[in-house]
Amino acid sequence: MNTAAWLILLLPLFSAVAIGLGAYRSRLASAALSIGAVVGSFLLTLWLIAVGDELRSSVPWLAMEGLQINIGLQIDPLSRLMLCVVTGVGSLIHIFSLGYMREDRDFSRYFAFLSLFVFSMLGIVLADNFVMMFIFWELVGVSSYLLIGFWFEKPSAADAAKKAFLTNRVGDFGFLLGILMVWAAFGTVGFAELEKAEATAICGLAGFLIFCGAMGKSAQFPLHVWLPDAMEGPTPVSALIHAATMVAAGVYMLCRVFFLIEGTWAMEAIAWIGGLTALLAALMAVQQDDIKRILAYSTLSQLGYMVMAVGLGSPDAAMFHLTTHASFKALLFLGAGSVIVALHHEQDIWKMGGLRERMPKTYWTFLIGTMALCGVPLFSGFFSKEAILDAALENNLLLFLVAVLVALLTTFYMTRLFVVAFMGEPRSAHAGSALESPSVMTVPLLLLAVPSVIAGYFNAHAPNPLVLAASLVVLVFGMLVANSLYSGAKTDPLPARLGRLAKALHDRFWFDEAYQWLIDNVQENLAKLADAIDRWIIAGLLVRGTHGTTELAARVLRLAQTGNLQTYAFWFAAGMAALLIFTLG
Amino acid sequence: MDWLLIIVLLPLFAAAAVGFVPGSQRRAIRGITIGASGLSLLCALIAFCSFEVGGGLQFETKWIWVESLGLHFHLAADGINIGIILMGAIVAFSAACCADDITHRVKEFHVLLNLMIGGILGAFASMDLFFFYFFHELALVPTFIMIGVWGRGANRNYATYKITLYLSFGALLALVGLIGVYVQAGAKSFSIPELIATVQATPIDEAAQQWIFPLLMFGFGILVSLWPFHTWAPLGYGAAPTATAMLHAGVLKKFGLYGLIRVAIPMAPAGAQSWLGVLAWLALANLLYCGLVAVRQKDLNQLIGNSSVAHMGFIFLGIASLNVIGLTGAVLVMIAHGLLAALAFGLSGHLYRQTGSLEMGRMGGLLRQMPLAGSALLMALLAGCGLPGFANFAGEVTVFFAAWAAGLKTVTVIAAWSALVIGGLYMMRAIRAILHGPLGGDWAKAADLRPLIATALGLLLAALLVFGFAPGLLAKRIEGDVEKIVRLAKPSQPQATEATGR
Repeated sequence: MNTAAWLILLLPLFSAVAIGLGAYRSRLASAALSIGAVVGSFLLTLWLIAVGDELRSSVPWLAMEGLQINIGLQIDPLSRLMLCVVTGVGSLIHIFSLGYMREDRDFSRYFAFLSLFVFSMLGIVLADNFVMMFIFWELVGVSSYLLIGFWFEKPSAADAAKKAFLTNRVGDFGFLLGILMVWAAFGTVGFAELEKAEATAICGLAGFLIFCGAMGKSAQFPLHVWLPDAMEGPTPVSALIHAATMVAAGVYMLCRVFFLIEGTWAMEAIAWIGGLTALLAALMAVQQDDIKRILAYSTLSQLGYMVMAVGLGSPDAAMFHLTTHASFKALLFLGAGSVIVALHHEQDIWKMGGLRERMPKTYWTFLIGTMALCGVPLFSGFFSKEAILDAALENNLLLFLVAVLVALLTTFYMTRLFVVAFMGEPRSAHAGSALESPSVMTVPLLLLAVPSVIAGYFNAHAPNPLVLAASLVVLVFGMLVANSLYSGAKTDPLPARLGRLAKALHDRFWFDEAYQWLIDNVQENLAKLADAIDRWIIAGLLVRGTHGTTELAARVLRLAQTGNLQTYAFWFAAGMAALLIFTLG
Repeated sequence: MDWLLIIVLLPLFAAAAVGFVPGSQRRAIRGITIGASGLSLLCALIAFCSFEVGGGLQFETKWIWVESLGLHFHLAADGINIGIILMGAIVAFSAACCADDITHRVKEFHVLLNLMIGGILGAFASMDLFFFYFFHELALVPTFIMIGVWGRGANRNYATYKITLYLSFGALLALVGLIGVYVQAGAKSFSIPELIATVQATPIDEAAQQWIFPLLMFGFGILVSLWPFHTWAPLGYGAAPTATAMLHAGVLKKFGLYGLIRVAIPMAPAGAQSWLGVLAWLALANLLYCGLVAVRQKDLNQLIGNSSVAHMGFIFLGIASLNVIGLTGAVLVMIAHGLLAALAFGLSGHLYRQTGSLEMGRMGGLLRQMPLAGSALLMALLAGCGLPGFANFAGEVTVFFAAWAAGLKTVTVIAAWSALVIGGLYMMRAIRAILHGPLGGDWAKAADLRPLIATALGLLLAALLVFGFAPGLLAKRIEGDVEKIVRLAKPSQPQATEATGR
């Protein structure tokens, strides 16, 4: 069992290294290695679940007096669930990628990066201490960076990758400080040891700082800006990393260290940040036209739900929603990928339409994903969303209202997306001639549709009647409004009706512009100042000044060194005279 | 076996041997140089692997030099310098491989290069103050000549003057401090272990420590580009030939840091207590200020130079923490940064050969044009912003723990921001400008790495990864001997309470 746990982690690393060291020459070998590794990890995970034991196993990584850091694995129900999500969804997405990336010239590099990502992500899941989690946290950040910038020659992709990395780094700054505080207070970074320790007053601040890391990875307000841009990466990457797994790492981490933040003021802050993110992102999603960006904002909004659930003291609900969301959001992204390939890389929903007849498998699976996301009763999203709404109703009425509003907006923008893209008449030539994707792509869709429907039954509770009523009302209302607005529409009618507000939604409340302004005016000016001091004061005034003074002194003294004997004789005589006057007088 | 003696003498013999080869025999000259440094590397690797943890001074060679002065030729390794010597040998071999961009006066260059390598390895292996200093000067003087004669760019002469004056001045200050140590300790010996034993029994007069320590701190500090004495570094490295920049930025520069740990703190612990607070803030200036300066650079070498100055801040901060974690972390960063700086300058040297310019604004898309060099540069820049998996991360994170435990909390917070965010910023911008995006105009004909250079740089990268995945290999060697120094400096305080830091 010990070996199995380590193999789960190391198989993808082996694949990445093997591809990098030589297998990249053969496309087939690269794909086989990468897919073999993730499927192998998945099967081992299933075996671990079947065995069902808990396990801790670690090797020292860095040890010295006063500081002990291990690389250790922790298998418990929480990590088993997450392992299952990562390797399960990961396997299907690896297979889907075979079809999606088949014509890309960097096919092998793609699979190497994908394996690197799976390795890093599994490291976060299995970590049994903070430093190890931070290590893999950073590795996940860089694999996400490499995959967003996969088409690095395209300036927009390269910029998006840079932005994602740096935004995450801001969050990691808080994470690192939080880890330092925890270590200083408790003398250990191991989760099991910390859990036994007695809580102290610093837990609130340390917990909030650690949450900053989650804010970066899970793209919570105010560090949410990188996720929509990350859609520049290949679509299967968006499905795997930026919908199902990596962005959920923040939520997973919060659940893992929930004992630390439980009962502190950090909980309140986390709940509000989650709620705010859910609301803002759902609003922005209403006015986007790019199919992947709509889904990206929807991901933001759902992550906000999960973070809010943790803040409301209900990590179980958060993990439940994380699991169901992973399957239906991956399904939606892969469905979008199938559409995008069929339409020759067209992503604007207003150039789609009428795909229902032309791409039936994609249509039906996308419909299932949409219904699960909107929380149609008996689909998986319904149960997990109910759990979160329940938690909100019990703890914070205001956040409950926010959550219900978000549910309404979700139904609205997903219906809009679905009606515009799949129903009605084709709005472009590509849409008119679209063909269903090959089965290497549709089979993963079908396989993902299964958990999207049934995953909710594993953890279903009897819903609270008030919550049930509220969610059914907003569901029906949202669908009806969106359907009446968008059914048969040629362009979006909302900008005309909402005016300025629609513009604000479309421009994402100008967060990106505000940050750019801050960077240009604060960061750049600081850098310019430092550079100017370096150039003009330290290297200029001080160094050249010292040099200049020395040289000036030399020139002045040189005037005396004329080489003229009479002058020397004169100065000699004058000196003697002065000396005589001084001693005698 | 006297491995250290072989490691140090091989390059010095090679210098002499090259002197007897006619200048036209380029292949022979290159062969001798690469062969000697390769053998040195092999010996260093054997020594590193057979090093016995906790076994005190090992691989000793001790010859009496001038008995009346207590002067010995004494080479030995403990946990602190064994890793540095291995790193130095790796860098020396890579630099020797990369030196084939020298086209004129090949023979003279290689004589100097071998002298420099021998001097560097000797300085880190010496346990006698006299030879410790002598070997450093033996390596430093060729550096100046190499920049002056084989350097590049219009600024070459100014850069040579500046680096010569700065480093000579720094070395002079340190010399005064070292003489102070010799006189004040009254041990009638230059041997570092004997001096330590003497001051342990009867410490140097506290008033004397108060002037000895700052002399050593600023003297050694100037050699390491401590803020505000750092402007020579980017200028000098920008003008230096590839191999020289690799060796100086990678290894020779670490001499000052090594001196602080090996000599300054044990000899003047009371002086250290009162001055290390200052050092911590200067270290922060290195990290923050030089990081900000690096953000503004438009030339790749200037960027690497400034970021290398910024990285020195981690090491100073680790030393300023004055606890086991901090000094171990400092030595870890010294080794990691040595490998990284050599890798970065080796790659920039390759790029410079392609078009004669390192202006980042004109580059772009090189990852496609030169996959090997591009991937290596990508990894080097990522390692430079502290990515786990590379040795730098292990050292840097250790330093953060140490500084926090030492109560330098404000400094740690700002240092973490500088490292994670500002460090990330300039490295990401460099990747975006050089490697990503469409192909830059002048670069369509640029060639990828040749096998020899690829091997040399691959070796550096491999070492970074090995020590990144298993920093314990270094830490377990370093820790025990660092602990002795910390105990010398802070005999009264038990370490256990120190580590919890509250």
